[in-house]
Amino acid sequence: MTIARVTVRRALTILCLAAIVAMCVEARLLQLPFVDRTPYARAMAIYPDRQWPGYPRFLVGVREHTRPGDTIAVVVPAMGWDDGYSYAYYRASYFLTGREVLPLATPENGRIPQNLRAANYVAAFGVTLRVPAGVVWQGERGALLRLRK
Amino acid sequence: MTSTLIAILSLTAFGIPITLAVDRNARGPLLIGSAFLYGSGTMFFVLLATSILHIRWSLISVAIVALLIFCAAAIIARRQPTTDNRQRAASAHAIDLITLLTITGYALYATLAPLWEWDFWAIWGLKAKTFLESGGIDWRFLESRWNTFAHPDYPLLVPLNFDFIALVNGGWSDRWLGLLFVAWGIALLLIVRGLAARETTSFFAALLTLTLAAVAVSRYVGLAEGALIAFGGAGVLFIRSALLDDDAACWRNGALMLGFAANCKNEGFALLVAVTIAVVTVSWSRGLEVLRLRRLWLAYALAAPWLILRAAHTLPTDIAGGSAFSRLLARLPYAHQILAFLAARLYEPWFWMAILAGILIAPAAARWRERFVFLVTAIQLLFYVAAYLSTPHNLRWHVLTSWSRLTGQIAVPITVAVFLMLANSLRRGQDAPHAEARSDQ
Repeated sequence: MTIARVTVRRALTILCLAAIVAMCVEARLLQLPFVDRTPYARAMAIYPDRQWPGYPRFLVGVREHTRPGDTIAVVVPAMGWDDGYSYAYYRASYFLTGREVLPLATPENGRIPQNLRAANYVAAFGVTLRVPAGVVWQGERGALLRLRK
Repeated sequence: MTSTLIAILSLTAFGIPITLAVDRNARGPLLIGSAFLYGSGTMFFVLLATSILHIRWSLISVAIVALLIFCAAAIIARRQPTTDNRQRAASAHAIDLITLLTITGYALYATLAPLWEWDFWAIWGLKAKTFLESGGIDWRFLESRWNTFAHPDYPLLVPLNFDFIALVNGGWSDRWLGLLFVAWGIALLLIVRGLAARETTSFFAALLTLTLAAVAVSRYVGLAEGALIAFGGAGVLFIRSALLDDDAACWRNGALMLGFAANCKNEGFALLVAVTIAVVTVSWSRGLEVLRLRRLWLAYALAAPWLILRAAHTLPTDIAGGSAFSRLLARLPYAHQILAFLAARLYEPWFWMAILAGILIAPAAARWRERFVFLVTAIQLLFYVAAYLSTPHNLRWHVLTSWSRLTGQIAVPITVAVFLMLANSLRRGQDAPHAEARSDQ
């Protein structure tokens, strides 16, 4: 009886140990060195900007035409927070480090017009703005405008 | 890529005398793994200190401070007495080839493209890039009401490690930063391998390392998870060894690693508190709780600077914003529904089922021996649930965007504990030098 119980426990232990190993070993990682990774690399490279693939190039242009310390408000086709504005605002913050990027919308989809007045520049991507402003730079589906105050 | 590799090798070389100052007997995988983690953790403090002292970051200024620490650690290490090495050497095994292949696969994954995670460019990478351009921590950026999305209260070990790589690189590039996450994962695996070799055979130590090869690394490349898993996992496992062996070097290693973990994420500080509670609990019956608590002082000493700085700059924490307690009370009646949702959304549920089955199958004495790790895991899970109950965000959204990451943070120590319980019970303790002798904590 004792031998039988010990054997069952031993079998269960082996089974459990094998299950833990099997659950943890990642087959996809084992395969990755042997497959063509070009499609994965291409997919990952565009993943953050899949909504607006040209947006990073536009932000690079904005960065080149502004200086550290400048304040920039961002206008994009989707001004709803979860429709794309949060992406546009956060992504601009990353590309435009050193400048102060001001949002024009809140997570609750409220508007922040005072930030438009406070900004030195408006970076408008994919939209045409009718505001009293001079065009500093145009390209990559957008424009950098200096607001007249 | 070359400059990132040079930075990682520099951090490892920087960490060697620090490791030896902490544990003069560290050898092999334990030495290399710990050295990288100490290098990475200490470099964070070098950048933090120079920033506080208003010394503009440059490769030269950082290298001078690091060299001073390197020399001081080397002197301390030389003065440490060497004892007869209690460590069983971790010898290579054929299984290691599969582990190596897994790590290679992860390295290829982590470097497929410039870091792509939303939280990288909205939080961790954003801060690192901002600080690099201002030559130090930009408190004005952290204090700005427009940057609360970047979680200004989060500790800065990971962004400042990015900055060290950028300094070595001569400028910001997010193309090869993924290698840092590979290094954190390898460091933890080396430590696990070194510690497991003390308790089990070469075969089981190698099999455990293979088992953890994909668990010790984070899928979320660019986020602080990778560093937290490494520092937190190493910290818990060193404290586990310290409790089993009453080894002073393991206490120091564990406390320091947990201190660094607290500087990776807020969950790292929660882990330190969970470890403290667990140490007190397992030590209570033997009246050792005060003595053992004192051995954790280093962890709190490392956690303190950021806590003080963030309080001094009044950097807001979103979870604690508003009335967290009233939110918690309001959600408590629905706790069973929330727990059911967490269970339904558990990432890798079969893995956790296997871990649970392992705990149930293992001999009672082995379970008792591992109660520290079980307690830490349970307490940390409780902290996670409490955070969900008090979150100011939409609860469903919060769970969906974080639960798999949180469970990943605590997977390594419990997997090690359950694996060793099962493996050593299979061997009936024949070859395990400590399996029977150290049955009591």
